[in-house]
Amino acid sequence: MSGYRLERGGLINREKRLGFTFDGKPYQGLEGDTLASALMANGVRLMARSFKYHRPRGVLTAGSAEPNALVELREGGRREANTRMTMIELYEGLVAKSQNRWPSLYFDVSAINQLASPILVAGFYYKTFMWPKAFWEKLYEPVIRRAAGLGQATYERDPDRYEKSYAHCDVLVIGGGPTGLMAAATAARSGSRVLLADEGAMFGGSLLGETEEIDATSGVEWAQEVTAELASLPEVTLLPRTTVFGWYDDNVFGAVERVADHKLMPGPYEPRQRYWRIHAKRAILAAGAEERPLVFGGNDRPGVMLASAVRSYVNRHAAAPGRTGVVFTNNDSGYRTARDLRAKGVRIAAIFDSRKEASAPDAAGVEVMTGAVITHVAGSLGVTSVSFNRGRGEEQIDCDFVAMSGGFNPNVHLACHRGQSPIWNDALQAFVPPETGSPLVAAGAAGGSMLLSECLKEGALAGAQAANDTGFHCKALAVPLTRDDRYAIAPLWWVKESRSKAFVDFQNDVTAKDIPLTAQEGYRHVELAKRYTTLGMATDGGRTSNINGAGILAGATGRSMAEVGTTTYRPYFTPVSFGAFAGPFAAKHFQPVRRTPVHEWAEEQGAVFVETGLWMRSSWFPRPGETDWLESVTREVKATRESAGICDVSTLGKIDIQGADAAELLNRVYCNGWNTLEVGKARYGLMLREDGIVFDDGTTSRLSEDHFFMTTTTANAARVMSHLEFCHQALWPDLDVQYVSVTEQWAQMAVAGPNARRCLQKITDAELNDRTFPYMAAREVTVLGHVPARLFRISFSGEHAYELSVPADYGNLVARALMHAGAEFNITPYGVEALSVMRIEKGHVAGSELNGTTTAADLGLGRMMSTKKDYVGRMMAQRPGLTRPDREVVVGIRPANKTDRLYSGAHILTKGDAPSLENDQGYVSSVAFSPMLDMWIGLALCKRGRERHGETVQLFDGLRDMHIEAELCEPVHFDKENKRLHA
Amino acid sequence: MPEHSAPERTLPLKSHLRQGRYGAMLPQGPGVRLGVRHPLSIVTIIARKEKEPAVSAALEAHYGLAAPNPRRMTLGQGLALLWCGDQQYYAIAEGRGEGGLHAELKERLQGLASLSDQSHGRVVIAVSGPKARALLAKGSAIDFHRREFPVNSSAPTQMAHIGVHVSATSEDGFELSLFRAFSEHFWEWLTEQASEFGYEVI
Repeated sequence: MSGYRLERGGLINREKRLGFTFDGKPYQGLEGDTLASALMANGVRLMARSFKYHRPRGVLTAGSAEPNALVELREGGRREANTRMTMIELYEGLVAKSQNRWPSLYFDVSAINQLASPILVAGFYYKTFMWPKAFWEKLYEPVIRRAAGLGQATYERDPDRYEKSYAHCDVLVIGGGPTGLMAAATAARSGSRVLLADEGAMFGGSLLGETEEIDATSGVEWAQEVTAELASLPEVTLLPRTTVFGWYDDNVFGAVERVADHKLMPGPYEPRQRYWRIHAKRAILAAGAEERPLVFGGNDRPGVMLASAVRSYVNRHAAAPGRTGVVFTNNDSGYRTARDLRAKGVRIAAIFDSRKEASAPDAAGVEVMTGAVITHVAGSLGVTSVSFNRGRGEEQIDCDFVAMSGGFNPNVHLACHRGQSPIWNDALQAFVPPETGSPLVAAGAAGGSMLLSECLKEGALAGAQAANDTGFHCKALAVPLTRDDRYAIAPLWWVKESRSKAFVDFQNDVTAKDIPLTAQEGYRHVELAKRYTTLGMATDGGRTSNINGAGILAGATGRSMAEVGTTTYRPYFTPVSFGAFAGPFAAKHFQPVRRTPVHEWAEEQGAVFVETGLWMRSSWFPRPGETDWLESVTREVKATRESAGICDVSTLGKIDIQGADAAELLNRVYCNGWNTLEVGKARYGLMLREDGIVFDDGTTSRLSEDHFFMTTTTANAARVMSHLEFCHQALWPDLDVQYVSVTEQWAQMAVAGPNARRCLQKITDAELNDRTFPYMAAREVTVLGHVPARLFRISFSGEHAYELSVPADYGNLVARALMHAGAEFNITPYGVEALSVMRIEKGHVAGSELNGTTTAADLGLGRMMSTKKDYVGRMMAQRPGLTRPDREVVVGIRPANKTDRLYSGAHILTKGDAPSLENDQGYVSSVAFSPMLDMWIGLALCKRGRERHGETVQLFDGLRDMHIEAELCEPVHFDKENKRLHA
Repeated sequence: MPEHSAPERTLPLKSHLRQGRYGAMLPQGPGVRLGVRHPLSIVTIIARKEKEPAVSAALEAHYGLAAPNPRRMTLGQGLALLWCGDQQYYAIAEGRGEGGLHAELKERLQGLASLSDQSHGRVVIAVSGPKARALLAKGSAIDFHRREFPVNSSAPTQMAHIGVHVSATSEDGFELSLFRAFSEHFWEWLTEQASEFGYEVI
């Protein structure tokens, strides 16, 4: 043996050496190694420091349940904390750093915490909340947080891509060990669509780390043959490096595939990870079983490992955990470790079997001590000897590693994710999965069958059943032969005579003594004990600790294991990175972007865009020399009011409503009446919610007797559509009405100002004058000779204005044509800012006033509420609270001193009152600098506002600490007689 | 108005559509091909109350195709009908000119159905190739397996948070129809997801 690498064997490529560093020190490993096995082969045993006591730790497992050997993997933006060395496949150039230690792994100052361990017991953290109060923020919180910790996340942006994908299958097989391979092969041979997922890079599961034989060939070769057969079948999907982490309603499973985690960096078009949502008609849980540690003094010392992990390192990686070991077991499987290690030339000094009468399995000549327990492990940075007791007082034996086996826990997790609890099995001394029905069936070790022959048989049966259930036919089952073993166990939850700390939860530093203490303090329920001790609350999910904890709790409270039960199993089986959850929907893809059909034109005009919901809207159009948005907006308003402006209003929701009862639907959803609307006319409509509060507004036009064109606000477009669907389908299914969103079909432009008509006349065939096209006219016209269009004489700006709709593909063309036609009138593009200034000048309410708290009357639109018909919201709008005379209603507001600026959100106070909730009279909802009045103006919601026009009030802005005087006035600030509409 | 004289329609995705091969260059060639069908005529047909059988009969008489069942489409003389909801269909045709299909259907389904022209409102992206299914699976919960979503299947779904109507047009070919305003964003997502398979824009 050179170093700790065995001369022969293992699923490693001795030709392919891989260089890597750990804590800055260079090492070499082999292809096929994990970071843990490579370090082991290099003789490195100290790999980490523990969470609370900073105790030296080595690797415990050879798989995904690892609680100890956690590192920060990679550097820079790719740095990932708390990665399990046992799951990291070695690659050339790997960089890993130990965590939670200072200044170094070998000398960690915080290890002094161990001296304070009498006070750092279970519940310590919670007790610091209690007393003395002042200590919490100043002392405990900063100190505890610094001392207790894991790795550090990076602050840099992750440079890699993450993906999501859906998958569908007849049969999902979770776990690619002997059971899973057998199940997948049986189901797949019938032609059913099979998806096989395994968390490892290679299929084979436990076979990869054992020396089993199947049908007279090695277990590894059998696994490779079955995998190759599966890979050749067109209906089979193999997902290696994929952890199925959760079971959800409708037999949906979540999984994460580590596509490129085993590489230095992903390939150029490769994601790092892929998040799968798997819809399975049937699923087979073949997740195997996890070995339990034994709880004895010093069981966390580097070199104390699970017996199955020791076998796996020796058999799979040809890495020896030491020169001389001992086995400590309460079941038969410990003997297998002794046999395998002997066969590989690693010395086993003794087997300590806690059972008084061991069933005498083959110990391959190793000395077996029955009724013996380890009470202490010596060697702080690595095992040097163990003290044991076989009923003759304490004895000692030299060794440099310990292989322990406390029995096996079936991996029941997924079967319990939908609320069921696992069931205690006395013969196995373990919890087995609950009966979950045919959609998910546990087989093999996951179901509590510990022998290989049982696993293969159950896998075949489960695979056949699942295939048959999904409409396929499985022919005769071919279950291969194995040499059979045996499995028997007697419980041992805690070696009480231990004379040093015995750990239950390695990652959270929970010791055996913490658990009786917890019960003594009243937390006897397993869920409470978990929270009080933090047992099982670390990133490993307590996979090696929960059941041992329950066993000790059962002992401490005089209950059986079945009575104690387990804590709730929830997703995720193993940690899932945030990147995988986010998938590709990060940064600019966080949410979809909507561009209007005249976006290109707006860009040509130099628009500054603003996100309005998902839409990109033109906000204003700066011209050369303009330095400030307000300067641009002011120019746009003036140009529009002086001559002509053009604005993209394509984002308004547009709904085509047709059918014999179309008018009736409008009558019922709007609070004002629609029967009298003539064909060719538009009308302003106001919708209430069922509770009487204003929902949305917009103009709706009658294009023919049974055809209306509704517009909604941009923000509520989808909501109004859903509202119509609900009303029609649930309330009035008898109405003959059809409606569909046509928002995207039309590019819509507002053309406003005294010269608007002259601009439009130049591009349309229709004759436009007050007789042919009066205020509120709505008609189909043709523009540019051949483009079908709809023209509406409606105004939000208060000017003589139109809205022109053209099919979207012509949007940019028509906008450019309007600019060309309007050039002689200095037609000016304006954005949503200028739009807002003009509507505030006109006192038109918008989103800031239709804010989900205001009634039609509050908005000054009370007279729109028809008394001649029923409509959504009518009854509830009459509630006393909604008709109270002192409600906050819309008023205009102006600063008393013309040079003062108004801010929205400022509160209104009666003159002389101090700011307080009781004195609050309302608030400013919208403000704008009015170019026409040359001052700041606004709209406000003010108690009894309509009676108070002319009153001077105080405005208080607590955020800006501003106090100014302002005057309440009518909402219409400009052109009070609405003369300009008809100019 | 004569149809041929309307100005040429501009394609919403035109700034993103550059012919060529992108992404991984695999020996077996691109895994997916992407293209846009434009210009198209698209009209929403919604049967009026209790007129579904009459609508079906009229479509049969004029185009020789039955109204499709849920999750299906039917193809007739120069017209495709895609099921898109209860008694609702998209009628899709090529070469009908501006407003042509809408006018034609309006005449033929007078009093039987409400029709809305959506020709400009939706963008139709054609996706084909051996990896088309794997690409679509990255966005949609629909099971695109040949058994479950055979040729002439047609259904609304969501991909990348965007409503998309998917139709299976051939063994390995699909069409995705979506609101035009999302088309650029959707194209960026789609091509990024296609890059591992290699894709060709045609």
